[in-house]
Amino acid sequence: MNRAASRLSRLLGLLPLALLLTGAVAMLAPFVWMFATSMQTPLTAYDLPPHWLPLPLRTQNYADALTGPVSLMTALFNSTVIAILVTVGQLITCPMAGYAFARLRFPGRGALLVTLLASLMVPVQVTVIPLFLLMRGLHLVDNPASLILPGLTGAFGVFLMRQFFLTLPAEILEAARVDGASPWTVYRRVALPLAKPSLAALAIITFLGTWNAYFLPSIFLNSVNHATMPLALVLMLGPYKTGNVAMIMAATTMAIVPAFAVFLFAQKWIVSSLTQSGVKG
Amino acid sequence: MHSQRPSKTPGSRREAWTGIAFVLPSVIGFAVFVLVPLLVALLLSFTQYDIINPPRWVGLANFARMASDHRMTVTWGNTVIYVAAAVLLINGLGLGAAVLLSRKLPGSMRTVLRSVYFFPSLVGLAYVSIIWQALMQRDTGIVNYYITLMGGSRVDWLNGTTAAMISVIVVDTWRNVGFTMLVYVSALQEVSITLLEAAQIDGAGPWRTFRRITLPLISPAIFFNVTTVTIGAFQIYESIIVLTGGGPGDASRSIVMYLAEQAFHQYNMGYASAIGVSLFVIILALTALQFMLRGKWVHHE
Repeated sequence: MNRAASRLSRLLGLLPLALLLTGAVAMLAPFVWMFATSMQTPLTAYDLPPHWLPLPLRTQNYADALTGPVSLMTALFNSTVIAILVTVGQLITCPMAGYAFARLRFPGRGALLVTLLASLMVPVQVTVIPLFLLMRGLHLVDNPASLILPGLTGAFGVFLMRQFFLTLPAEILEAARVDGASPWTVYRRVALPLAKPSLAALAIITFLGTWNAYFLPSIFLNSVNHATMPLALVLMLGPYKTGNVAMIMAATTMAIVPAFAVFLFAQKWIVSSLTQSGVKG
Repeated sequence: MHSQRPSKTPGSRREAWTGIAFVLPSVIGFAVFVLVPLLVALLLSFTQYDIINPPRWVGLANFARMASDHRMTVTWGNTVIYVAAAVLLINGLGLGAAVLLSRKLPGSMRTVLRSVYFFPSLVGLAYVSIIWQALMQRDTGIVNYYITLMGGSRVDWLNGTTAAMISVIVVDTWRNVGFTMLVYVSALQEVSITLLEAAQIDGAGPWRTFRRITLPLISPAIFFNVTTVTIGAFQIYESIIVLTGGGPGDASRSIVMYLAEQAFHQYNMGYASAIGVSLFVIILALTALQFMLRGKWVHHE
């Protein structure tokens, strides 16, 4: 009786681990299936039971996706250009504004900061119609610039950088100022180099966010030649979802390469930035 | 914040000019791409506008039409269900996973599992939906394959009236649960072990300790996650487009899909703006309500 009870409690002790591992399988299985399917031929792609191993290694689907009627090569190029330009823009504008809001005294600072925080609350779905009319007026519909221009700065990025610059010890900046350095020099030579980890987080979050974005691109871009990755994938799938599944999974594999790279190499840079605001009361 | 008035020394004047120059690009960006569009959307919501003819002022007609528009009621209803499901499931499962991950685990398993759970949050919702729509196909999808293997019967995940919404909720939850988990894990790390041990010495069981000590201490994280997930879930869009196309009929269509359809397929820009304003007002009111209730249940140290 006692032995049975202790065995039961040992088993119950393993339950959390079993639950966690089941959850982990559920998180990874779709990606494993995606990768395995990306190697299949159109004939074996629908095999049941499904293939879970990417064997035999076969890259034909990748070549087909890159050069197909919906050219993924073009979409990769479009998405890369847009994501890089938006990221570079935010890396210039956000730390400057964040630093000014945290560390410089100028008239109107409080009011501007409140306006900025308020704009964090406005979902793009609410402003999409005026934005579309604006882009139409500027003849930028179906032009990547319609996505780059609104992305060159962001309230989230400014807020993230402001939070970082607030944590800098005042003495460091003061010492440079006493040495006669101009506000610009203090920022450029002292504050900005210290902000490297936050800048890395901002770059990763901005790049991935732009790379993954669907809503605005789907409304501003309407030709195959200007499609970004998510749009190209949806076009490949087709309105009746009749696209070649092996080729679509090859395309999806390429689309998630940046996310996978962050998963492998850069997760630690963004985790604290994303969670900090939630943990501190 | 600094409250003393800046003295008019050359240094402080230079600092003020630098500050203005530093914030100018961002302020112009917000004005042009957020604040002015918001005001224009508000104005357009009182007009009839088909993009060819100039907007015509119609007063509150769009809002009156919303009240009697059956499709609006349906898509708003669906959206409310998506939001409620997201808030409950993404937070419940995220907190559950975080609690399990905070226990003693062999080796570096905690770090590995944490990254694995977080990975889908890094992948765009459009991409994960493309994978899931293949998995959820009625005849060729592997979800139904394993269901029938275990003796169940096929479910029409993407085209069934109830199943379509469930599929959207499953994919949304699956993708976002890792984010809330991450926030909960870091919040749980801050909970003092001494406090938990003291409670146990006082004879409190694990559930009572969790309820009375852990939960209040991580309430800021709960607040943050509930607010973020609520705002995000109101905007649900591309997963529905890829998975169900909003169907069957309007059975899984969200309010943002209906807005986009009215604006960019039917060119009812005025009516679509009114829908957008309703979305904004509801998100704003709910967030304000959450902040007002914050004081009642969120613990401050």
